[in-house]
Amino acid sequence: MTLQMTKTQKLLRIIGNNTVPILFLVICAFGIPLSGYSANYLVSEIVIRISRNSFLIVSLLIPILAGMGLNFGMTLGAMAGQIGLILISDWGIVGIPGIILAMIISTPISVILGWWCGKILNMARGREMVTSYIIGFFMNGIYQLVVLYGMGVVIPIRSNSLLLPRGYGIRNTVNLIGIRRSLDDLLLIRPFGIPIPLATLFVIAVLCLFILWFKKTKLGQDMRAVGQDLEVARAAGIKVEHTRIVSIVISTVFAGYGMILYLQNIGTLNTYNSHMQIGMFSVAALLVGGASVSKANIRNVFLGVILFHLMFVVSPMAGKNLIGQAQLGEYFRVFVSYGVITISLVLYEVRKKRDQHYAGMQLAAEQEAST
Amino acid sequence: MKLALTRIFWIRFVAILVILVFSVLLFFIGKQHTVLLDNKTVTIEGEEIRALQLVEIQINNLEPMELAARDRDKEEVTGQKHSVTIIYTDSNWEEYTIERTFKLPLMQEMVLLSIPTLVANPEADQSLWLENYEPPTYAVTAADSEEEVVTDDLSVLLTDI
Repeated sequence: MTLQMTKTQKLLRIIGNNTVPILFLVICAFGIPLSGYSANYLVSEIVIRISRNSFLIVSLLIPILAGMGLNFGMTLGAMAGQIGLILISDWGIVGIPGIILAMIISTPISVILGWWCGKILNMARGREMVTSYIIGFFMNGIYQLVVLYGMGVVIPIRSNSLLLPRGYGIRNTVNLIGIRRSLDDLLLIRPFGIPIPLATLFVIAVLCLFILWFKKTKLGQDMRAVGQDLEVARAAGIKVEHTRIVSIVISTVFAGYGMILYLQNIGTLNTYNSHMQIGMFSVAALLVGGASVSKANIRNVFLGVILFHLMFVVSPMAGKNLIGQAQLGEYFRVFVSYGVITISLVLYEVRKKRDQHYAGMQLAAEQEAST
Repeated sequence: MKLALTRIFWIRFVAILVILVFSVLLFFIGKQHTVLLDNKTVTIEGEEIRALQLVEIQINNLEPMELAARDRDKEEVTGQKHSVTIIYTDSNWEEYTIERTFKLPLMQEMVLLSIPTLVANPEADQSLWLENYEPPTYAVTAADSEEEVVTDDLSVLLTDI
């Protein structure tokens, strides 16, 4: 005998499982008319943001598959990508070759950082998210040391437009004019005036296909097994620690590539802050898409980008039109980014406890039926 | 630790080698150079070569540009090998076209192409009409004032407390 749920319970369960996307749909439903933006403008903005952010968010999927939660350590990959971009800017390599070269430079740095991060996360099992978050802060200090004091002294930088007036260290902002929108403009179509960067979307599609393929491989299946139960996976002969490290390495490398694609769209590198912001916003967007700490898929990525960035686009103007202050909208969107992460984490725990409770009740009912 | 020269080792070794070679190739094809197109009167070995009154110049397949006497403009190109096409008319309004190819030094950021010199010596070696150009130091040296480096967005909040 199994416990049967009523229709109301089922509906409440669906709503409970999709609280964050529903919340965002409601916010957007109120915000869009208030903002007064045209549909054409909003669609254009969303397409741009899908091409800009999706790669970064997809990089979060593999550690979730391996049961390591949301990889806040993706900032390590972002730092590697930025180092690649600083070097190609100094060497004067532009266009698509510049983007690819930056990716090649970032790869070994990402691999080393990812491997190191994975090792630490293995030591902090069960507390991966907070650990990776703090690793991001720690590594930020090393990054600042390298970029602020190493570049121009230990690492040769020739360009005066990159160096601080004192002769070493990189400036606050680096102009990426040489690679700006290189990939986006490679194959750009404008149906109904909406710019669609086909080349960038193609790269994102290839990554999505890679993720889908990867899940079916031996390593992907191992990661799924490790994510479901560590001890069972170990008993099955899977190298648990190694598998977890590989998942973080892959995520970090993709985060590096994602950061390069993100910055080629923006066109300016905020040397000391870009990477810290991107981790938080990528995680928030994924959670808005309906993902949880233990479960995420590609659908969550795109739904998350659309809803989260729709809110980002409309909230300043909605705030301005509502009470005459755009600043309120700015505060609102930052508040919502952090708030959504909090709500998702709380809901995840609530849901986990509820499922455990439900499973316990079901077991009790079965036992009662058998006696 | 003993290095095992297995098949997998060699595959990885070759893969890394291919990526390195590819990186070098990207460096060569993606390196950007600025070509200054100069239509000013110059003196070479004591001989004065006068600027052209009006000249049309095109680098590779980029947009052609027209330069009057004493004009200077620039084109940004990637890679090392390029072509230049110059169309001008003489005092009898007869139109001439000169086409040349030239190769830029890999690490040179900026070169100066003297159009009157090229027109006067169309068959000469490129070293005669194409020279390396270093921008004046005042043009590239930033102001002495120190730029404040912001490494933490939240530091503003802390200082305000």
